[in-house]
Amino acid sequence: MNILLVCSAGMSTSLLVTKMEKAAKEQGKEYKIWAVAEADAPKHIPNADVVLIGPQMRFWKSEAEKLAKPYGVAVDVISTVDYGMNDGPKVLRFAEKLANNKK
Amino acid sequence: MDEMESICFQIISNAGTARSLLIEALQEAREGNFDEVENKMSEANKYFSEAHKIHGKLIQKEAQGEPVPFSLLFMHAEDQLMSTETIRHLTKELLFMYKRL
Repeated sequence: MNILLVCSAGMSTSLLVTKMEKAAKEQGKEYKIWAVAEADAPKHIPNADVVLIGPQMRFWKSEAEKLAKPYGVAVDVISTVDYGMNDGPKVLRFAEKLANNKK
Repeated sequence: MDEMESICFQIISNAGTARSLLIEALQEAREGNFDEVENKMSEANKYFSEAHKIHGKLIQKEAQGEPVPFSLLFMHAEDQLMSTETIRHLTKELLFMYKRL
């Protein structure tokens, strides 16, 4: 599964990526997880299965959905609490759930 | 995750959510949904206060002589907090304008 994280600059989100990668590895899962800034997101969305948006970019969700729709990519916003706790395993589960709901 | 990293993330997350809500308030104002604007603004204030509260604890800690370790992540957290503060002031002014139109 390919998980794309989007935030305004991609800085704090890249730390969350590290935590999520660690959690995936521990579970023996081969996922591609990466973070980009909003401005770069359009060219990355076609390569993703799910797009997770940082809570600081929640207002961007409807635009992201428009970009993701032609590719059948699911989009949702990470909760403020999970993001604040930098909770890799929980956000990873969130991404998996989002991907399963789409199917 | 060490304590300082956790504090930084809580500031970033709360300040960031507040910022998103402020922009959502402006988007609602654009559509003329002023009841929804009020909801978004009061929610934004809640998250913004939380971010400030967490930041304030660090300032108190430093004032008591306990050093606060510095990092790029912490600078980023303060940056998020201050940009949200600026956007909050400007959003309030823009809302006055939207209401007059």
